[in-house]
Amino acid sequence: MLNNKSVYLVSYSWLLLIALSIIAVYMDNVIGDRSLYIIAALSIVVIKGQQVVDVFMELKKAPRFWRILLLSYIVLLPLIITIIYLV
Amino acid sequence: MSSSSIIIPLSTSTIAEKITDKKLPGDLAMWFFILAELTVFAIFFIGFAVSEQLNTNIFAQGKAQLHQTSGLINTIALITSSFFVALALGAMHKAQAKNAVFLLLTAKAFALIYISVKIWEYLSLFEQGITIETNTFFTLYFLITAFHLMHVLLGMVILSVIAYSAWQGKYHHHNLSGFEAGASYWHMVDLLWIILFPLIYVI
Repeated sequence: MLNNKSVYLVSYSWLLLIALSIIAVYMDNVIGDRSLYIIAALSIVVIKGQQVVDVFMELKKAPRFWRILLLSYIVLLPLIITIIYLV
Repeated sequence: MSSSSIIIPLSTSTIAEKITDKKLPGDLAMWFFILAELTVFAIFFIGFAVSEQLNTNIFAQGKAQLHQTSGLINTIALITSSFFVALALGAMHKAQAKNAVFLLLTAKAFALIYISVKIWEYLSLFEQGITIETNTFFTLYFLITAFHLMHVLLGMVILSVIAYSAWQGKYHHHNLSGFEAGASYWHMVDLLWIILFPLIYVI
């Protein structure tokens, strides 16, 4: 259930997601090394994914199994992609 | 009655409350459907990354031909759409169905921005003579983004259905399972784009 505190949290999460999306696009001007850039970009994916799963989907209040399942997806998939790009 | 026999039922009740607090939003069937969708997209994403490693130059040239800013606009549109769906669910919990319908329509307006930008992006690529058959990069680009677009369209239908049901007063604020299921599906569409966008457009 979204009370006023939750509305604040959802709004904070929304702003964070937008800020991270913009940073991910333009940070290649700052990070010269491609490997480091890939790690940074996919780390941002993990943070954004966690925000969507926990705040938007409200899985932080769901049974632990489902939260862990979705969070595993959002961590493991970028990790696999990072390994593919860096190996 | 001993004090311990009083404590046990109380603690059991507390545990029961905690169990009921930890409720999965929406229907279990929808979550299995979401898991199936996430799995299909995971295969696509891993396939894309492997293909990129096997065709580095083609993928670098392909990514350079994409309009990164339109991808960013679409990211912001989908995130904002998801934000309004989350607010709509909050309004439903407060038994403010009309307010929730307005928030869902706002969410759909942002989804329409996404669809418009995506169609513009496809058309501008077609004008350059780029199609699904151009090379491996564009085959995967069109397949993955069009498949995602189909999910956005399906999500919009689902949002319309739950908005209509909310308008008709079919949900009770203590039983929003159908509404929550629709909202969860929409957040999944957003979640997929969060991975898709950097993979295809950025890195």
